[in-house]
Amino acid sequence: MNKEDDSMPKILAFLCNWCSYAGADLAGTSRIKYPPSIMPLRVMCSSRVDPLFIIKAYLGGADGVLVAGCHPGDCHYEKGNYYTRRRFAMLKKIFDELGLESDRLLLSWVSASEGHKYANVARDFTEKIKKSGKNPAKKKIFL
Amino acid sequence: MSKPENSIKKNGAILPAKPNLRDAIINLLENSIDKGIFDAILIPMKVPKGDSYVYVLIKDKSLLKDSIPLPPVMAVQGAKAVSSITRLGKGNIKIAAIMRPCEIRATNELSKFSQLDLENITLISIDCPGVIPISDFINDPIKNLKIFDESAEKWDYKPMRPVCQICDKSSMVAGDIHIGILGAKKDTFFIIPNSQKGIDLLDKLEISAKENIDNWKNKIKTISDEKNRKRKKVLKELKSEIGGIDNLTNALGQCINCHNCMSVCPICFCRLCYFDSEKVKHIAEDYLDRADIKGSLRFLPDTTLFHMGRMIHMSMSCVSCGACEDACPVSIPIAQIFSMMADETQGLFDYVSGRSLDEPRPLVTYKEDELHEVEDTND
Amino acid sequence: MTKALILNESTEQGILDFLKNLLETRQVRGILTLKKINKNNDVAYSIITDVKELNDAVPFYPLMPVNAGKLLSRFTFRGGPSDPIIAVVKPCELRGFVELIKREQGCFDNLFIISFTCGGVFPQQMSVEKTVEKNLNKYWDSVKKAEISDNIRPACKGCEEFIPYNSDFTVDLIGRNDLDKQSIILINNEKGAELTKNMKGKFSEESLNKEKLEKFRNKREIEKKKLFKEIDEKIKDIDGLIDVFGRCIGCHGCMRVCPICYCNLCEFESSDSEYKPSNYESDLKKRGGIRVPPGTVYYHLGRLSHIGISCVACGLCEDVCPVDIPISIIFKKIGESVQKVFDYIPGKNIDEDIPLMTFEKEELLEFED
Repeated sequence: MNKEDDSMPKILAFLCNWCSYAGADLAGTSRIKYPPSIMPLRVMCSSRVDPLFIIKAYLGGADGVLVAGCHPGDCHYEKGNYYTRRRFAMLKKIFDELGLESDRLLLSWVSASEGHKYANVARDFTEKIKKSGKNPAKKKIFL
Repeated sequence: MSKPENSIKKNGAILPAKPNLRDAIINLLENSIDKGIFDAILIPMKVPKGDSYVYVLIKDKSLLKDSIPLPPVMAVQGAKAVSSITRLGKGNIKIAAIMRPCEIRATNELSKFSQLDLENITLISIDCPGVIPISDFINDPIKNLKIFDESAEKWDYKPMRPVCQICDKSSMVAGDIHIGILGAKKDTFFIIPNSQKGIDLLDKLEISAKENIDNWKNKIKTISDEKNRKRKKVLKELKSEIGGIDNLTNALGQCINCHNCMSVCPICFCRLCYFDSEKVKHIAEDYLDRADIKGSLRFLPDTTLFHMGRMIHMSMSCVSCGACEDACPVSIPIAQIFSMMADETQGLFDYVSGRSLDEPRPLVTYKEDELHEVEDTND
Repeated sequence: MTKALILNESTEQGILDFLKNLLETRQVRGILTLKKINKNNDVAYSIITDVKELNDAVPFYPLMPVNAGKLLSRFTFRGGPSDPIIAVVKPCELRGFVELIKREQGCFDNLFIISFTCGGVFPQQMSVEKTVEKNLNKYWDSVKKAEISDNIRPACKGCEEFIPYNSDFTVDLIGRNDLDKQSIILINNEKGAELTKNMKGKFSEESLNKEKLEKFRNKREIEKKKLFKEIDEKIKDIDGLIDVFGRCIGCHGCMRVCPICYCNLCEFESSDSEYKPSNYESDLKKRGGIRVPPGTVYYHLGRLSHIGISCVACGLCEDVCPVDIPISIIFKKIGESVQKVFDYIPGKNIDEDIPLMTFEKEELLEFED
C-alpha cells in the first residue's frame, strides 16, 4: 500500500474519542470494508474542533473534512457536541457564501456501537467527494 | 558572511542581458536549480489578478517564467519574507533570495536579532530604481507598471515612494552577490560577489568574476552622491516642518493608532508589541485624571508616545525602506520622519543598518571611553 | 412614546448645552465625544472634563477615526469609572460595545450613552484630504431629507441598523428638516430621566418616526443589495477569494481596528499560525511554490469564523486597508448570513447570548449528515 492512489480522495476525519473513534475502531475490528480515503484524527470531543482546523485542512488541500461526534444528548462531556453543531453550521454558511464547496464538509453523529454506520458514512462521503473531484485548493500558490 | 566595505567586491562578471535583463537573470536562477545549487528561489511574482506582486518561494522551475526580480511595488518587505521561512530554523533546503538592497539590509539586521537563519540562504541584491507606493499602483496597475518601467529605464525616481526618492543606498551591496545594472554597457549587466557564498555561487555556475567593475562603481557613486544632496535638502525641510512638540503632534494629528506602520516594518519583529500590550492599558480613573490636566484627553491617548517609542526601539536598525508609509491609511509621512531619525541615531555610531553581518548593533556593544559629550561635565 | 427633552436651539447646540449642563452640575465627571483636537481641525474622540473644551466638541461629526465601542471597552474593561461619564456614540459603535460586554470586555457601570439615528460617516481618507468640511452641508442636507449621501463609507450606505439600541438617550437626525431649529433628545429609560429631571427645557412625549425611518431603511436595503451583488460577482469560488485578497499585504490593520477583535495576541500573529521550515518544505513538494508569508486567505477566513457572528459592519476595516480591499462589505455579507442562521442581530439585546456560546437541544438539523 505504498503507492499513492491518485484517484483516492484524502478525507480528514475528526473523531471524538468516546463515540465516533470507538465506532470507527469497531468497524475495523468487525472487518467492515470501506475505502481507504479517511485519515482519522482523534480528539477528546468533537467540540475540540476549532473551525480553524477545518479551514486549514480545506486550504491545505483535503478533499473532504468529516467531523464526527456523539449523538446530541449523549456527549461524554454533556454539551460539547451542541456547540460543535453550531460552529459547524456557521462554517458551512461561510463556505456557502464564498462559493467554497461546502459539500466537502460533513458533520455526522456516530456512536461507539455504530461500526456499520461509520463505514456507511465513510463510504457515502467518499463517493460524494469522488464526484466533486480533487480540491482545487491543493495546487494554489497564492493562498 | 559579508565583510564591510570593499574588501571583496573588486571584480565581477559581465554577462549579456539577452534576450533582456529580466530573462537573463531568470535563466541564471533556472540554471542554479538545474545544477542543484539551490532547491528553491524566493522571488516576487505577479498575483493572479495582476494588481500586485508578492514574494513566492519557488521550487518548480516553470514558475520562474512568471516571476520578476524588480517588481513595481513592495507589498511585503523582503526581510519579513525571509524571516517567515527561517525564523524557526535553517531548514533543509538551499534557497536563493533576490531582493532590493534595503530588504537585504533589513535581513542582515534581523539575523543579528536572531529572527532568521541565513545559513542555507544566499542573498542576491540588485540596483534598485525605487518602488511605486502601493496605493498609487492599485488604482491602475497597468498604467503604473508602464510608469514604473519607463522611470526605471531612466533611473528617474519621481513616481516612487518619497523615501525612495531620497535613498542614497539604492545600490549598496550587503548580501552575498549583487546584480549591477548601472554603468553597464548596452545589453550587459554586472554580477559582483560580496562574500564567500557569492564567490562559491559563481564558481558553481562556472562564471568567471575577473572583470573590472569600475564603470558600475563610478556610476553608482554619481547617483548616490546626487541622491545624497537631494536627501539632505529634503530632510532639512522636513526637520523644520515637524520640529518641536506642536509641529510633531500636528504631523501625527491624523494618526488613528492602527499600528500598520509597526506591523509591516521588517525590524519590528516583536510578536506582541509593547504598545499593544497590557502595559499601555490603564483603568478608567487614570484616563480621567489625565484628562483633568488640560481639560480634555484625546482617547485613546499616547499617539506621539507610540511613534517616539517605536523610534527608540528600532531606529538604530531602520533601513528607510518606506513600508510604513505605504501602509499608513492616513498618509502621514512616517517613513520620511523615521528615515531622518535613522540617519541621526545610526550616525552617532557611524553605523549603517544591515551594511554588514559582522558589525554588531550599536546598542548591544560599547567602548569604555566614548560619548563623553552626552555626559554631565560637572566634576 | 417616550419622554423627551426639547430645547429651542439647533440640534447640535442643544446636545452641546445638554452635555455642558451635565458637566457643570457635576452629574458627570467626563464626556467622551468627537472633538477638534488641534489647529488643523483634525477630529478625534476625546475625554472632556472641562467645560471650556466642549467648545471644540463636534458630537455628530460624520467621521469615525476609531470605533468608539472599542474605546468604551478600553475605558471600562477593568471596571466602570467611579464617577459617571457620558458618551456620544454612533449606533454601530454602541452595538460593538454591547458585543464586547458579552465577551467580558467592558461594562455599562457609571456610563450614560447618547446615540442617534445615523446618516453614516465619511471614509477617513476624506479627513486626510481635508475635503470633509466642504462636504458637510451636502451631507446634512441628505440627512435632513432622509436620503443616502453618495460619498459615505460603503458599509454605511447599506446599513439597516442605523437606529440605536441600548442608549440612554437618542437624538433622531434622519429626515428631520427642523434639525437647525430645535433639539429633541429622547429619554429612553429611568436612568436617563433621573439624570435630566432638573434640566431646563420642555419635557414632552415624543417618539421616533417609525414610518419615515422604515422608508429610509428600505433605501439602505436597496444599496446593500447592490453592494452584496458586487461581492457575489467577485467571489464565486476559491479563485475569486484569491483574487480579492491577492493584494493583501498582511498588515492586519483590519483586525486591529475591528471593535470585536479584542484579543491581546491575535491567533494569526501567534506561534500557532507560524510556518516552520518543514511546513514550507512539504508545501513546496505539494504545490511547487508558495506565497511568502503564507496564509493570507486563511487569515481572512479565520477571522470571519471568529468574529463574523458579531460583525456590526462599521466599515473601519475597509477604511484602514492600505490596498482598498472591499473587506467591510465581505464581512458584512458573510457576517449577516451567519447571523441569520441564528436569527441574531449583534449588539441589539444585551441579554442575548452570542449564538456560539449557547445551544438548543434540537436545532440545525439541516447541517447534520
